[in-house]
Amino acid sequence: MTVDMRNGAAQPTQAVAIAIDRVSQRFPGRSGTNPMLALDDVSLEIRRGEFVCLIGPSGCGKSTLLNIVGGLIAPSAGSVRIGRNTVNGARPREIAFVFQESTLFPWYTVLENFRIALKFQGVEGGGWRDRAMAALRAVGMENFAEHYPSQLSVGMKQRINLARGLCVETDIILMDEPFAALDEQTRMVLGEDLSVLLARTGRTIVFVTHSLAEAVFLAGRIVVMTARPGRVKAIIDVPAPHPRSPDFMLAPQFSTIRNDLFALLRDEIRQTVAAMREARDGARP
Amino acid sequence: MATIDTSRFAAAAMPNEQRLGVASTRVLLVLGLLVLWEVYARLFGRAGMVAPPTDVIGALGPTVFGDPKVRSAVLLTFVELGVAFLMSVALGIALGLLVGIGEIGRRGLFPIVLFLYAIPQVVLLPLVVLIFGLGPAGKIAFGVSHGVFPIIVNTIAGMRNVSPLLVRGAESMGASRLQVIRYVVFPHMVATVFAGLRLAMTMTLLGVLLAELFVSTGGIGYFTQVYAETFNPAPLFALIATLALMAVAINELVRRVELRFTRWKQ
Ligand SMILES: Nc1ncnc2c1ncn2[C@@H]1O[C@H](COP(=O)(O)OP(=O)(O)OP(=O)(O)O)[C@@H](O)[C@H]1O
Ligand SMILES: [Mg+2]
Repeated sequence: MTVDMRNGAAQPTQAVAIAIDRVSQRFPGRSGTNPMLALDDVSLEIRRGEFVCLIGPSGCGKSTLLNIVGGLIAPSAGSVRIGRNTVNGARPREIAFVFQESTLFPWYTVLENFRIALKFQGVEGGGWRDRAMAALRAVGMENFAEHYPSQLSVGMKQRINLARGLCVETDIILMDEPFAALDEQTRMVLGEDLSVLLARTGRTIVFVTHSLAEAVFLAGRIVVMTARPGRVKAIIDVPAPHPRSPDFMLAPQFSTIRNDLFALLRDEIRQTVAAMREARDGARP
Repeated sequence: MATIDTSRFAAAAMPNEQRLGVASTRVLLVLGLLVLWEVYARLFGRAGMVAPPTDVIGALGPTVFGDPKVRSAVLLTFVELGVAFLMSVALGIALGLLVGIGEIGRRGLFPIVLFLYAIPQVVLLPLVVLIFGLGPAGKIAFGVSHGVFPIIVNTIAGMRNVSPLLVRGAESMGASRLQVIRYVVFPHMVATVFAGLRLAMTMTLLGVLLAELFVSTGGIGYFTQVYAETFNPAPLFALIATLALMAVAINELVRRVELRFTRWKQ
């Protein structure tokens, strides 16, 4: 395990926002089988304002780790601290989630969805409309405030999910493959927008992705995870300031990092595929 | 940034010519059937059994609504139906929520509900009469016993298959258990519950009429029996038509309320 503790985009002076301390996660196996180790002794510190990408083979525990950080799952071992507090449940005032699929309520308009998100968070009273409209404007969706989600394309919905994540004004946003369901062009544009927003708002972001290019383009640091059980295999810095323009993708630095990343991942992915084959063949009589 | 042609949503509604086509097809079909019926009744029908539509319409005025006894019978049935339906809705949704909200209740009690629902309730009519008497109370009770089950069943069914994604999303935003029910489970249920309400409407009407036909001495059911036994088909059909209109009216009311709750689907 090569853990590189140099700081990426984050300022060395900035405080730790998320401290993941020796977290392991075991899931009960299906009736009678052995429990399955999804995460094995993961430690990671993320500083305020940092953009960290988690990348790793499918099933290595990225979503699980994100859910543990956000307090949606309690870890089997270890702990997570947000600032000075140990996480033991959802922390809607500090952490917002954006998932791969839209979690907008289909029965409410876009604007109502924002109102309810704020209500869940415990923010009542006036001012919510201005906040919602500002967030919608930030992602270029202000003209769709009165639409129902079913009237929007997948990409538009995901923009709004992103806007909702911004609107609740948490310090931390956890994103679980938020752009995975989108086509590549939309994805690139959204990535660019995110980079701009980030430079402006200084949120701390943990972002799960399977796309090497997306990780390099967005992240200050990229955390590469091993095949299951998930561990931290390596951490790669991407020392380029936000906002990053699409030209960044053409820079030699970009392809160098991307190739390093691919080399690190390739073995893990082979291993995952081999394990899947084995499980399949083992299941055969 | 992203712009979109909003007119494509309007296109989901039917174009005007097509709507006109649908309406005229419907009217022509009904008119055609009425004409056939008229011709058949006038040429071949036996006077005590079939009445031509024109006679039925003729009977609507003097015989049905001209007779104060019949008039109050129609009103009585309508009131009984309304009361029975409202009671079914209140009772059905409450019981459905009670049974369906928890895993234990649903697994333990839902089969019992389905078992009770499966019993042909006509066999219970004498018992209902014994308990509630021959008057409106007995008819309402029998209407409720018919109407309540589809509502219970659909309320329970509606609470299942709530998107775990939406629940997780709500919880990640800090929603309490109660808020998850209020903002996720309830809206999710609406369509299924309303399907139950409409079915319950028909069932309640059935219950009330059965009670009137078999035991009571009032209401529409009683008079349809009287007309049938005295070979008087014109007012009989007129009463049945009145009944159908009543059912359509209440159904329409339910539909209007449903539309208000499901605007997001249109
Ligand atoms: N609630 C659960 N119960 C049992 N096993 C689980 C549960 N959640 C996740 N797992 C298992 O834990 C492992 C890690 O899952 P996780 O969803 O975190 O992977 P991931 O890295 O996000 O994968 P992907 O990239 O495909 O989204 C998987 O093998 C999965 O089957
Ligand atoms: Mg995942």
